Amino acid sequence: MSTSSFRSSTVNPDEIALFSKLSSQWWDEQGECKMLHRMNPVRVQFIREKMLEMQREDTDTDAQLDHPKALAGLKILDVGCGGGLLCESLTRLGGLTLGIDASASNVAIASLHAAADPGLRLIPGPFVPTTTPARTSNLTYEHTSAEELLARGGPAQFDVVCSMEVLEHVDNPRTFLSTCAQLVKPGGHLFLSTISRTPLAYALTILAAEHVLRLVTPGTHTYAKYVRPDELLGFFQGFCCPSPGVLGDGGAGRPWISRLYNGAPARTEAETRGIVYVPWTGAWALVPRGSPGARWGEGCNYLLWVRRPLE
Amino acid sequence: MSLLTRSRLAASVCKRSGSTGLRALSTVVHEDSDVVIVGGGPAGLALASALGSSPVVQDSLKITLVEASDLSKVRDWSVASDSFSNRVSSITNTSRQFLAAIGAWPYVDERRTMPIEEMQVWDGISDARITFSATEAAPAGTTAPEMARLTENLNLQRALLRYLDTTPSIKLLDKVKVNSIEKEQEEGGGWPLVHLSDGRVLRARLLVGADGFNSPVRSYAGIQSYGWAYDTQAIVATLNHRPRTHFEPPNTVAYQRFLPTGPIAFLPLSETVSSIVWSTKPPIAKALTASDPAVLATMINAAFRLPEVSIRYLHSQILEAHAAGTPLTPQQILEETSWRERSHSINQYSAYSLSALGKTAPGGIPPEDSDALPPFITSIQPDTIASFPLRFNHADTYIGGGDGARTILVGDAAHTVHPLAGQGLNMGLADVESLFRCIQNAVANGTDVGSHTALMPYARERYFENHKIMSAVDKLHKLYSTTASPVVWARSVGVEVLNELDTIKAAIMMSAGSSRRSSTQEVGWSVAASGIETLARNINTAKALGGGVLGLAGAGAQSLLKQFANMGRS
Ligand SMILES: Cc1cc2nc3c(=O)[nH]c(=O)nc-3n(C[C@H](O)[C@H](O)[C@H](O)COP(=O)(O)OP(=O)(O)OC[C@H]3O[C@@H](n4cnc5c(N)ncnc54)[C@H](O)[C@@H]3O)c2cc1C
Ligand SMILES: C[S@@+](CC[C@H](N)C(=O)[O-])C[C@H]1O[C@@H](n2cnc3c(N)ncnc32)[C@H](O)[C@@H]1O
Repeated sequence: MSTSSFRSSTVNPDEIALFSKLSSQWWDEQGECKMLHRMNPVRVQFIREKMLEMQREDTDTDAQLDHPKALAGLKILDVGCGGGLLCESLTRLGGLTLGIDASASNVAIASLHAAADPGLRLIPGPFVPTTTPARTSNLTYEHTSAEELLARGGPAQFDVVCSMEVLEHVDNPRTFLSTCAQLVKPGGHLFLSTISRTPLAYALTILAAEHVLRLVTPGTHTYAKYVRPDELLGFFQGFCCPSPGVLGDGGAGRPWISRLYNGAPARTEAETRGIVYVPWTGAWALVPRGSPGARWGEGCNYLLWVRRPLE
Repeated sequence: MSLLTRSRLAASVCKRSGSTGLRALSTVVHEDSDVVIVGGGPAGLALASALGSSPVVQDSLKITLVEASDLSKVRDWSVASDSFSNRVSSITNTSRQFLAAIGAWPYVDERRTMPIEEMQVWDGISDARITFSATEAAPAGTTAPEMARLTENLNLQRALLRYLDTTPSIKLLDKVKVNSIEKEQEEGGGWPLVHLSDGRVLRARLLVGADGFNSPVRSYAGIQSYGWAYDTQAIVATLNHRPRTHFEPPNTVAYQRFLPTGPIAFLPLSETVSSIVWSTKPPIAKALTASDPAVLATMINAAFRLPEVSIRYLHSQILEAHAAGTPLTPQQILEETSWRERSHSINQYSAYSLSALGKTAPGGIPPEDSDALPPFITSIQPDTIASFPLRFNHADTYIGGGDGARTILVGDAAHTVHPLAGQGLNMGLADVESLFRCIQNAVANGTDVGSHTALMPYARERYFENHKIMSAVDKLHKLYSTTASPVVWARSVGVEVLNELDTIKAAIMMSAGSSRRSSTQEVGWSVAASGIETLARNINTAKALGGGVLGLAGAGAQSLLKQFANMGRS
């Protein structure tokens, strides 16, 4: 599979070859991607609740939590969309969604699947940035990288940028994070999910899932690439966007996270939340905020939300 | 999710036609509907109503229900206040609270329903008796006025239809049969295409089988089921009887006697009308339903009162007469019963006497044991005698997979159970409540409602729960069909049936709001204990019957059990 049709310093060809091989399995809910399927509703729940919480924060209104179109009219980018599990859900919630992936076969599978669903309005790629607000949700897939998208359309293109379970598969994670972050509009949101680098995570995601239970193909994960929540928070403490001078407007951006309180960011700037698999329900669950053991709950799979400051 | 029209030729390109809402394929023209419910029985109508009660669901999903019969007959169903349909169900508090929560219960004509405050269940051979009462079901510190509500199925279905009249976005297609279901051939799709008898084809994101025992959806999904037909037929009928006097409790007690041929249940509908579900061997059912209704009425009175040996004798008389083509007359059966009564030396002033009660004018002082028995039946309402074969059947799974993906089963399509615990319809309503919650969650999180991921929690929540109730009901049926004395003894002292009773009692009494998974263990001890509390009555009963050695032998064992119960609690 060629990945050289676009520029990227974060795409690891071996990783992409592996995911391309899996591509036909994306929508087999009982197969290799079973855990991703089960995890998906919880990721969406986190995104939806966070967006509504911030909407209430911004407008001082009582945004309805159960509103079915929580993402109506928002421009959303999903980096490393795979088979499009997250993209389809975000589109159903009203998003104007673009899914990109470094694997051409993943993009093909994602497009085919979405095309068969009459509830999704699939617009063929390549993605054309528009300024006219679209009224109905829609979905586009494109075989490209975040770096290429940034080079093509410039920074600050999306209200929401997501990248789920991708960070642990990329080269140059700092570049990857910075690229994703630059694509976020001022006041917009970045959502990430990944695996922490802890002995627990090793035991569950590599030892158990790959080697003992064979839930996923051995070699899917590399322990050294796992990132801990405090490392991500640290990155955004030092991350300014636009970085001083880059946009030529001389405006030096504020860091996305101004400071940590007891290791945790302010609730309006960023949040990390563990997600755990509950075997007896067969579903993933968000670790409740402030619950005893919440820190422990971030010891394996976790979500990060961070918001770009308004200029 | 809006209706879209797409051309088959451009597989990944989407064009909107908007106007027709139809989608042209090379072979068939079909309409898209996110949820297609097949079956407008209690389960299907309740699911449609629940979905209709949620604005969020309605905003996101297009919902269609298909029913073969004419629903206007149910919608316009109207009968005199003292005449009742013969299909009735005891709606548990949990079910009623669910129906209230979605806003449908107020459409039930409550004047035609009866609260059940107590249930008395006794052994046809030993007469060992267990009483369940509403107060036990009440959470500590409160009083539960009732443990279930006897409701005609038609009253419930009419309520759901009237409720659905207020939710026009839910499309009801009645007098339309599902002729066949096939899998769509499109790559990446493969959704179920539902072919209707009026020529239309619906393409379903999620196909719900609420289509009863012979579920066409279950066959399409390729889901096998496990079960058998009981060699048993259930006779149903609507009964007229005298009102209870001031000295007796009101007609809010359900009675069930386990005869070796099957249980007979008396279910109150008003002060003077009740319903019967009498499970018995098919030839007996055939002879009884073919008899003069007055003969059946006498047989029902006898079935609750006479010792088992006499019931057996009466059955043989009825069968012989039926076979000979000379059915017994009402006079003949009365003579038979009073003869049997004398031979058992049943005191004619006792409630167990058929003749005495038959003669007593309404009012007056009732016999002291009258609350141990249902009121004396005077007649059967015209055209209410019917009978149904009984079966046990449980689908291997509730969610279709592979080529049968995007299908789900609820109600009798998923499980059919013996009616002795009155749980069939309640299980269906519990299914609906759980599936409704799954669909709501899926919509909230943008999950495809037809996906396995969206539906899995439903199967997890319901399968084992239903299985537990079904096995308990099945075991009770089998246990009570036995006449061998060790078994009779064991079940009479509660040893053998304790676990099954726990499960069933939990199902009947678990009031909504209390934890669904509340341990049946606790309930267990109170069943044991309440069995003992009714012991005094058992002894009276035994006396009235002039026998009951087994009942007395049971007494010793029951008091032992009581000590265990107390130990368990302290
Ligand atoms: C004698 C007896 C007594 C009972 N007593 C109780 C009780 O006290 N309490 C209790 O909880 N339960 C009781 N039950 C059980 C209860 O009646 C059933 O569980 C309940 O009716 C099942 O409802 P349902 O909606 O799942 O299925 P059904 O009522 O069987 O409805 C299925 C519907 O699907 C439709 N259908 C089927 N195929 C097609 C097709 N191809 N196209 C279109 N439509 C189709 C049918 O027309 C029907 O309307 C009793 C049952 C019996 C037999
Ligand atoms: C574990 S999958 C996750 C898929 C999807 N986000 C989900 O969670 O359902 C990782 C995906 O990221 C893609 N990927 C890896 N590195 C990437 C990069 N640098 N840029 C874009 N996509 C990448 C892979 O092709 C693969 O589809």
